[in-house]
Amino acid sequence: MSDNKKWFSLDLGLNNKKESSGSCGCGKSEGSCNSSPKEEELSADEFYEAAINASIGEERHRDGFEQVFDVKMDRRSAFKKLTASLLIGAGAVTTSCSVTTGSDTKEKAQIGWEEQFKGNYKLMTDEEKQGTINRLMRSYELRTDKKINMTAENAAEDVLFGYAFNISKCQGYMNCVSACVEENNQDRNSEMQYIRIHEMKDGEGFKFDKADDNYYHEVPAEGHFYMGTQCFHCDNPPCVEVCPVQATWKEEDGLVVIDYDWCVGCRYCMAACPYDGRRFNWSKPEVPENEVNKNQHYLGNRMRKKGVMEKCTFCVQRTRKGKNPACVEACPTGARIFGNLLDPNSTIRWVLENKKVFRLKEDLGTEPKFWYFMD
Amino acid sequence: MKNRTLIYSVVLLLGIFLFSCKEEGKYHSISDKIEGESKPYHGILTSEELLADTELIEITEGEHTFLIPERKGQIKSFACIECHSKPVSQMMGKDAPKAHWNIKLNHANSDAMNCATCHNGEEMNQLNTLTGKNIDFNLSYKLCAQCHSSQFEDWKGGAHGKKVAGWAPPRASNTCVNCHNPHSPSFEKRWPVQFNTKTAIERNEGLGH
Repeated sequence: MSDNKKWFSLDLGLNNKKESSGSCGCGKSEGSCNSSPKEEELSADEFYEAAINASIGEERHRDGFEQVFDVKMDRRSAFKKLTASLLIGAGAVTTSCSVTTGSDTKEKAQIGWEEQFKGNYKLMTDEEKQGTINRLMRSYELRTDKKINMTAENAAEDVLFGYAFNISKCQGYMNCVSACVEENNQDRNSEMQYIRIHEMKDGEGFKFDKADDNYYHEVPAEGHFYMGTQCFHCDNPPCVEVCPVQATWKEEDGLVVIDYDWCVGCRYCMAACPYDGRRFNWSKPEVPENEVNKNQHYLGNRMRKKGVMEKCTFCVQRTRKGKNPACVEACPTGARIFGNLLDPNSTIRWVLENKKVFRLKEDLGTEPKFWYFMD
Repeated sequence: MKNRTLIYSVVLLLGIFLFSCKEEGKYHSISDKIEGESKPYHGILTSEELLADTELIEITEGEHTFLIPERKGQIKSFACIECHSKPVSQMMGKDAPKAHWNIKLNHANSDAMNCATCHNGEEMNQLNTLTGKNIDFNLSYKLCAQCHSSQFEDWKGGAHGKKVAGWAPPRASNTCVNCHNPHSPSFEKRWPVQFNTKTAIERNEGLGH
């Protein structure tokens, strides 16, 4: 039967007869594909055994160190492997056992090791979360001799964060932008900013391609209005949808957050976001030591590294303590309103119920929790 | 018999149809979610601690009850009667010491407003309404509300004006005079505090290509 087949099929010993290992992909063991003449026939079981022996051989019967050490090899590769493993081993030994290196170095190595192999924050238990922030705080102390205070508060119950932005109030002073940078330890070299304030012409509506988000003249400019964009913490966030490693997700209180240690930097989320809410660290983010905001949250303003995404978190380090985000607090005009969407007595709810609110690109179905309104 | 099986399967399908998509996306939109899970917040988060250092008074306007900062303690030369021991009309004159020379009224026009629109010349420790009723300095918003009624509505609800402290209850909002100078209430033009030089460079380069 198998002799006549025109296609290749993988034989796992289900058939009784099997062709010799000399057969090729064309399905014939003779003639056109130049295979060697048939050797003595093997039963399917024998063939299976032989095939495994040929590929992984003795490793099946050995385990652990035997697999690695008891292997036939020529002298050259033996020396090569010996040298490599000696170097690695020597490195490990000097850091962990040496009497000349300080205990700090050992601790650093230990922290580095544990941080390297920790899991996704989303799946961590509260103890594990505490463990990782303790390590991160200690690691910062070892590196800089300065203490930081990092927390890992979970979302509070009965809280869903929402934001409202009054277009008629915003005057374009950009106090929010600078407060955000200071609060969230954004990279000073690349001048990363989460918030953009767009200066738009009166009477032309929202034309982002014609708006200027990097103006520098006295504001408010005649005949213009101002509106801000940032991460809208969508209830149906496309950025979360596309993340291949689940390094970004929506928390119970509605915040869309990133585990900077799980992010692989593929920037799919950046491409998926219709609001330009996400930022990428093209270089190692740097903040002068005296400007570092030391009240940090694991999911918020802790120091990022090169090659990871970041974005507005509605200042998770502040809002989960009951404070307002830094931009809301800094706004001199009161154009920014923040609060708990689930609380019918909150001011944000009053705005949603009594003002004419709208959201950006509402038709996309992303359900942003960021509303615009006018006086 | 066959009929009964058919009915059973239809009922089963209907059941699956009705209940299957309930849990996954329980709500169709964020407004449904807000409506569905709405309840007054009495959680652990509060602004009490943040408000501890601020002197506040509680006011009730319509259906809204909230806190506003106390004002009289913030006015440098309060109480006014320490100087204004007599009504203004009797103190005016050549030999009286000059005071408040730096205050220039830049609020509405002089047809609509002068000092006496808000200040009670007879009793300087009080403000007065358009009809001459006394208003305490702590409740000066009542004066503003006489003309700025739509702003007053928005302020009561929370759409106008900034909150003191955080989002969590209790609500404390700035009152009018915390942000607006009552003698010159509009915001002034000024330079933005931020300019992104990197973005400017990137865009210039982009134009060159």
